[in-house]
Amino acid sequence: MGDVIDTFNVAASGLSAERLRLQTIATNMANARTTRSEEGGPYQRRVPVFEAVSVDRFGDMLDRETQRVVVSAIESDGSAPQPVYDPSHPDADADGYVAYPNVNVLQEMVDLMTASRSYEANASVVEATRDMAMRALDIGR
Amino acid sequence: MIQGINGVAGVAGPAAVTGASQAQDENFGEVLDKAIQSVDNQQHIAEESIRSLAVGEAVDIHGSMIALEEASIALHAMVSVRDKVVEAYQTLWNMPI
Repeated sequence: MGDVIDTFNVAASGLSAERLRLQTIATNMANARTTRSEEGGPYQRRVPVFEAVSVDRFGDMLDRETQRVVVSAIESDGSAPQPVYDPSHPDADADGYVAYPNVNVLQEMVDLMTASRSYEANASVVEATRDMAMRALDIGR
Repeated sequence: MIQGINGVAGVAGPAAVTGASQAQDENFGEVLDKAIQSVDNQQHIAEESIRSLAVGEAVDIHGSMIALEEASIALHAMVSVRDKVVEAYQTLWNMPI
């Protein structure tokens, strides 16, 4: 029963990670034209950083190779903001340029598709694990 | 790097089974009772996760669904064991003496 639950946990960590990635993409999309932020200046594009963590650090070799994914950080993308000439904007500088966020909506759309496909893939793993366990139980009848 | 499967690591082999039977005074009924308790626990976990999903505490929908699946598999396993026990009992009952 334990290995089935471990597989479920690993797949669930993948689902959670992709859900968080989706949340980050939503934040980037929503703030694609945000010129003011808490840290000052235009909004900075956020990128989730994934990390593999052993499910059971103290188990045997095979157990240690079973690794969950965790989101270790959500970092901001360091690239420069996009200057757009718009003198009528309240946040325009002396030359009439407004610093818009470094968010590329097309790139976010691609990331969105990747995230939803990855979510589906992890959900398929859950289904396959369930089917395997059910198939194993069918042996007995 | 995952290396070859050295024996069957995950499945409880004969050694693990004899380890479990070291408690001599534990009869089959008690073992079954413990198993049913753990299945019951799993059902309670699933119920709790569905409740938290319904009232909006749970963040992950999939977490609740997976808890439900785990509970469902545990229940099926228990039912399979029960079927086997009933089958064995009936075999004995129908034995001509």
